[in-house]
Amino acid sequence: MRIIRKRSRVIDVLLRVLPSVAIFALCLVAWELWVNIRDVPAYLYPSPSDIGRELRDEGLALAVDDLRWTMIEAVLGFLLGSAVALCTAVVFVHAKFLERVFFPWAIVLQTVPIVAVAPLLTIWFGFTLTPKVLIAALICFFPVLVNASKGLRSISSQAVELMSILSASKWSLFWRVRIPSSLPYIFAGLKVASTLSVIGAIVAEFTGADRGIGFVIIQASYRLDTRLMFAGIALSSAAGVVFFNIIGALERLALRWPDARLER
Amino acid sequence: MTSSGGIAIDGVSMQFNGSQGARALDGIDLRISAGEFVAIVGPSGCGKSTLLRIVGGLLEPTSGHVNVGGKTSSQARRDVEFGFVFQQPTLFPWLRVLGNVLLPDRVLGRRNPNNGPNSKDIARELLRDVGLEGFEDHYPAQISGGMQQRVALARALSYGPNILLMDEPFGALDEFTRDRLNLQLLEVCNKTGSTVLFVTHSIQEAIFLADRVVMLSPRPGRITRIAEVPFPKPRTLEIRYEPEFGALAGELRGLLEGDDDVELALNGP
Repeated sequence: MRIIRKRSRVIDVLLRVLPSVAIFALCLVAWELWVNIRDVPAYLYPSPSDIGRELRDEGLALAVDDLRWTMIEAVLGFLLGSAVALCTAVVFVHAKFLERVFFPWAIVLQTVPIVAVAPLLTIWFGFTLTPKVLIAALICFFPVLVNASKGLRSISSQAVELMSILSASKWSLFWRVRIPSSLPYIFAGLKVASTLSVIGAIVAEFTGADRGIGFVIIQASYRLDTRLMFAGIALSSAAGVVFFNIIGALERLALRWPDARLER
Repeated sequence: MTSSGGIAIDGVSMQFNGSQGARALDGIDLRISAGEFVAIVGPSGCGKSTLLRIVGGLLEPTSGHVNVGGKTSSQARRDVEFGFVFQQPTLFPWLRVLGNVLLPDRVLGRRNPNNGPNSKDIARELLRDVGLEGFEDHYPAQISGGMQQRVALARALSYGPNILLMDEPFGALDEFTRDRLNLQLLEVCNKTGSTVLFVTHSIQEAIFLADRVVMLSPRPGRITRIAEVPFPKPRTLEIRYEPEFGALAGELRGLLEGDDDVELALNGP
C-alpha cells in the first residue's frame, strides 16, 4: 500500500513538472530551428546549442568567478532588506502614527527607479560590494514590508480577546499569535524578494563593477558577444530559481500546518 | 459582595462612540450566584455579546459596574477568572488540537492552577470529556466545525476558570451537532461546577441549558423578563417535548414578538 502510494506521488510530481519543462524544450527547439533555417547571424541570435557550448566551456569559470559574487551580493542584500522591512513592519503595527508618517516614504522609495539610484551609490561607494548589496536590499524592502504588515495585522479581534481573557502580555500576544499568523504572508513576500534581489545585484553591477554576472554581461555587450551574454542570463536566472526554491523549501519547513501557505 | 464565582451586575449601560453613538445596553441589573447557569437571549444587535464582554472585563461600560466575587471585572480578568468561548472557535491553525488546549497553560505558566508536569494529562482528559479522544494530533483544519468548537470549550476549561462566558458558541452548527454539544456542555459544567453566562438567540437552547433565562429587548438592550427554568438537572433532550417546556418557550417568544410590534409602532410602517 505504502509503496504504491509513494510511486504515485513520484508520478504526480513528474506530471506536474513535465508540462513546464516540455514547453521550455519546445521553445528551445523552435529557436534552434529558426536560427538555422533563416541563417540568422550568430552575433544577433546565437542558437541554443551555441549557448550550450558556451556554457559548457565557460560555465564553470563564470559560476566561480562571477555568479558567486552576484549571488553573495543578492543574498546579503536580501537578508539586509528583509530584516529592515520586518523590523519596520513590527514598528508600524505597534505605532499607527509612525506608519502614517513613514509609509508614504516607503512607497516613494519603491517608486524611485533603482537603475537611476545605482550609479549614485556606485559614485559614493566605488567598485565595492556595498552599492550592490544596498541596491539588492532596496529592491527587497517593499514587498517584504507590505506582506509582513498585512500578516502581522491578519489576526482576528477574537484572537486578541482570547489572549486578553488569558491576561496575556503584549509580548505574549506578539510571539504566540502575531508572528505565527504572519508567517505565511512573510514567506510570500520573501519569495518575491528572493527573485528581485538577483535583479538588484545585476543592475548595480552594470553601473560599476570588476566582477559579477552584471559585469560580464555589460562587457560582453561591448564586444557584441551575445553568446556570453545569453550564458550570463541563463546562469543568473538559474541561480535566481535556485534561490527562490531555497526560500520555498524553508517555507515548507516553517509552515507545516494545513492550508498555511498562501500560494502553491 | 458576591462569593467566588458569583456575579453582580448593577445599572450597566453601554453607549458606543460617545453620547451621539448607538446605545447598546440600558440599565442592566442582574445577580448570578456561583455555579448558576444563566442564558441571555435576545434578537440580533440587542447588546447581549456586549454585556458578556463587559462582564468579562473586555469592555468598560459607560455607566454602572460589575462585581465578580468582590473584584471589578477587569481585575477578575487579570486574575484569569474567566473562560471565554467565542462564536467562532478561534483556534490557532498552526497548533494541533492538544496544542490549542494547552495554549492557556503556555501563556499562564505558573498562574495556571493546573500547571505542572501533568498539565498535558489534564488537557487530554478534557478532550476526552468533550468526546475528542484520538484527535489530539489533528490540526484544526482537519476537523469539523463542531469538533473545533469542542476544542475551544476544552481550552476554556483547561485552566479551571470560575466563570465560563459563552458567546453564541453553537450558533453556526447544525441542529444535531448543537444538541450533542448542549448535552456535553451540561455534563462538563456539572463536573466543574463553574458559573456559566451563555448568550444565544435560540430560546429552545436557552431553556434547555439554563437555570434562568434572561430576556433582552432589541437595542438598547433592557431586561424584559427573567424566567426560572423548572426542570431539574441533569437533563435529557426529551424535556424539550414536555408541555411545560413548550409553554415557557412560547411565552418567551411572545416577549420577542411583542417587542417587534413596539418597534414597528415606534418606527412607523
